[in-house]
Amino acid sequence: MELTASQHDALTELINIGYARAAAALSDLTGHRITLEVPEVDVRLIAEIKEKLHRVIKGEVASVNQVFSGLIRGNAILLLDREAALLLNSLLTDRQETPELDGAAREVITEVGNIVLNACLGAFGNLLKVKVTFTVPSLQIDNVDQILRSLTVEGNGLEYALIIHTRFHMRTDNVTGYLVIILGVTSLKTLLEELRKWEERELH
Amino acid sequence: MGRARITLNPLSMAEPGDYLAFERDSALLTWMEQFAPFGVVTLDKSFQVQSWNHWMDLHSGRRSQEVAGKNLFTLYPDLEERRLLGPFQRALEGESSVVSTALHGYLLPLPSPFRETAPAFMLQTARIGPLFSKGVVCGIVLVIEDVTQRENQAIMLGQQHQRDELLSRVLTHLLKAERPRKAVRTLLFKIAEQLDLDTFLLYLRDPDTGHLNLEALGGIPAEADKDLRGCPFIAVLSGKSNTTLSLNSVQTQTSPEYAALRKLGVSAAVVLPLIADERNLGLLCLATCSRVAIPAEESDLLTTIAQCLAIAIDRENSNLLLFRAKEQLREHAQYLENRVQERTARLQETITELETFSYTVAHDLRAPARSMTGYCEVLLEDFPQGLTPEARKIVERISRASRRMETLTRDLLEFSKVSRQDIALSTVRLEPLIEDLVASRAPAVRQSIKVCSPLLPVRAHRGLLQHVFSNLVDNAIKFVRPGAAPKITIATEIVSRSSPNTRSTPLVFSSTEELPQEPPNNPSNEAPRQVRVWVRDEGIGISPEAHQKIFGLFERDCSAEGYEGTGIGLAIVARAMQRMGGTCGVESEPGKGSGFWIELPEALGAE
Repeated sequence: MELTASQHDALTELINIGYARAAAALSDLTGHRITLEVPEVDVRLIAEIKEKLHRVIKGEVASVNQVFSGLIRGNAILLLDREAALLLNSLLTDRQETPELDGAAREVITEVGNIVLNACLGAFGNLLKVKVTFTVPSLQIDNVDQILRSLTVEGNGLEYALIIHTRFHMRTDNVTGYLVIILGVTSLKTLLEELRKWEERELH
Repeated sequence: MGRARITLNPLSMAEPGDYLAFERDSALLTWMEQFAPFGVVTLDKSFQVQSWNHWMDLHSGRRSQEVAGKNLFTLYPDLEERRLLGPFQRALEGESSVVSTALHGYLLPLPSPFRETAPAFMLQTARIGPLFSKGVVCGIVLVIEDVTQRENQAIMLGQQHQRDELLSRVLTHLLKAERPRKAVRTLLFKIAEQLDLDTFLLYLRDPDTGHLNLEALGGIPAEADKDLRGCPFIAVLSGKSNTTLSLNSVQTQTSPEYAALRKLGVSAAVVLPLIADERNLGLLCLATCSRVAIPAEESDLLTTIAQCLAIAIDRENSNLLLFRAKEQLREHAQYLENRVQERTARLQETITELETFSYTVAHDLRAPARSMTGYCEVLLEDFPQGLTPEARKIVERISRASRRMETLTRDLLEFSKVSRQDIALSTVRLEPLIEDLVASRAPAVRQSIKVCSPLLPVRAHRGLLQHVFSNLVDNAIKFVRPGAAPKITIATEIVSRSSPNTRSTPLVFSSTEELPQEPPNNPSNEAPRQVRVWVRDEGIGISPEAHQKIFGLFERDCSAEGYEGTGIGLAIVARAMQRMGGTCGVESEPGKGSGFWIELPEALGAE
C-alpha cells in the first residue's frame, strides 16, 4: 500500500506530536535535554521490511515490544543495535558504559522504549479519538530476523509495517534506533481513515 | 476479601457465565495475593489502595488493613517529589509504564533487605498499568520487584572486574620493570587510590645488612615511621610472621601497641609480609582512615600484589648482586691488568738496562781482549828466545783464552744488536739471500748445500734473516762427525698452525713483542699463510731434552762438547725470529741429523 503525500505528512506530524511528549518525559526523567527526531516515516509490507532493516541495523538487537489493542491493533517495537543500546544506557544513567547489557541496563532500555512507544501509540489514541490499550513492554535481545519472525498480528500475511527512523539527541551524542509499528491491513485502513478525519477536524 | 477485583488484561477477562474461567482467574488472584514473589498493589481511579498483597505486607512494614482505602500519594508523599505521578496518570489513560532501577532507584521507599549496607531503600523495578473493567479503566495495578540483590551483585561484579584490572596492570608493570623499586611508590599510590585506601608504607630489607628500611610511604608524615615500628606489625617487621595481618576497628583498640596507628587516624589496616623463596624481604602496609575493616576480597587482592612485589624486588636484588659481582670482577681484572702493565714496563726497563749493560760490557771487553791477544803475539813472535817452553805454553793459552773472549764478546754484541736494532718487514726472496750466503763460504762447503727451489718468499727483515740463515748453516757445517762432510738441505713448505701435520711444537720463542708496523698488503683480511723454512743436516743430532734449551743464551747440548762455540748463535736466531714475529724450532735425534726450522708469514705479491 502506497501512502499519498498528504497521508505521509499527516502520519509524520502525528508521530512528531507523540515524540515531543516522549522527549519531554525523557528530559524530565534524566535532567538532560533530550530531543527525538523523526526524519522519515515509511509504510511497507511486512515481508519487505526485513531487507530494509538489514541494511540499517545489524547484528544483535535490543527490542522493546509492546502489543496494543483496540480499534487499531498491532505490535510496536523499538529496535536499537547493541552499541546504540549501550550508549543510550550510559547517557541516561550517567554510568560508565558497560561492555554488556546487564539487568539494570535492560530495564533502562525497556523504560525508554516504553516511554517512546506509549507516547507514539498514545498520540494515535488521543488525537484520533480511538481507544488503544497496551500491554506491559517486554525486552528481547536477539538478531533482527529472530525478532521480526516473532511478530505477527493477524497471521494472514496482509500485514504492514510503519517504519519510523528515530534519533535521540542528548548532550553531544546521537543514538539512532528504529520504531516499527506492525499493523494488519484493517488496522492500517482504520488508521488512515482516522488520520483523514483528524486532518479534517484540524482544518476546520 | 472485600477488595477490588484485579483484572490484568481485558483480553483474558472471564466472559459472564464462563464458570471455569472465573475459577481460574480467582486462583490466579489468590496466588498473587498470597505467594507472588513480588509486590502487587491495586489502586482505584483516585489512587486509593484497593489491594496490598502479602509480599507488600512483609516488605513495606505496613499491613494491608492499615493502608486499605488510603491514597498512595499520602502514604508515600515522596512519589510526587520524585516525579512519579506521570505513570499513574497515564495508567488511567490506558498506558502501561516501566519504572527502572537505574533511572529511579525505587518506586516506593521500602526498607532495604540488606540493612547493614547501602542503599537505604530496596532497589525496585516496577510496572504501572491500567486495570480494565468492561473495556474501561477502573483502576491501576503496581507490580514491584526487589532487585537489590541483583544490583548488589552487579556492583560486586563491577568491583571484582576493577580489582582484576588493577591486579593485571600491577602485575604487568612489576614483571616488565627493570628496576621495580624505582616505580613502586607511584604504583602504591595508584593501588591505594583505586581501593580507596588512605595510607601505605613499604619497608624493604637491605640485602646486605638485613635491616628494614622505609622504602616508600604515602598519606602519612615520614616521621610516623618511628612510632609505627612499635605497632602490632612488629612481628611481621621482624620477619617472625609470614602471614597477612588484618587490623580492624583500630580506633576502638585500647592496647598501647595500637597507639601510633590510632594517632594517625587509621581505622583499619592490612599488613602484608613480602616473601620470596621463603625469605622475608620486607613488608607492605595499607590502611584506611574511614572504614572499620578492609574486606576480605581487597586483602586477598593485596596479598597477591604483595607476593608479586616480593618476587619483583627479589629479582631486582639478585640483579643488583649480580651487577655488583660483575663490577667487582671487572675492577679486579682492571687491577690485574694494571699490575701486569706496571710489571711489564719495569721488566722492559730492566731488560733495556741489562742489554745496554751487556752491550757496554761486551764492547768494552773487546779492546782489552784484543790487546791481550796482540801482546801475546808480540811476546811469541818478538821474544821467542826469552820464553821457556813452559812460559810459551802459558802465553799461548793466554792468547787462546783472549781470542775466545773476543769471539764471545763479538757474539754477545751481535745478540745485543739483534735485540736493539730497528727493523722494518718487507718481502724477502729466499733464493738470492741463500745464494749470497753460500757464495761467501769455502768451495767444499758450497757443494754440500742443496737448495730445493723454488723457495717461497716471506715477510721478514733481510739483514736479520741473513743472520739467522748464516748461524743455522754454520751450525750445520760445524756439527758433523769428525771426518764426515756436511750435507745441508734448504727447503720451504706451507704450514697451517692448526693443521695436525705440524710435526714439532712451534712454541719456541713465539713472539710476544710488539711487531713493527706493517703496511696492510692483504686486503682480503685473511691471515697470510705461514712459510716454514727448513735447514736440515745429517750431523751429530741433538738430544730431545735439549731441543728447547739450545735456543737460550750460552746454552749448548752436551753432544756439542768438543766443538767450538759460544752458545750464542741459536739465541740470536731465536731472538731475531721473535723480533720479526716468527717462530723457530728443531726436530732432531742424536746421530740422525737435525732439522732446524723457522716460520714466517708468506709474502703475497711481488715487492
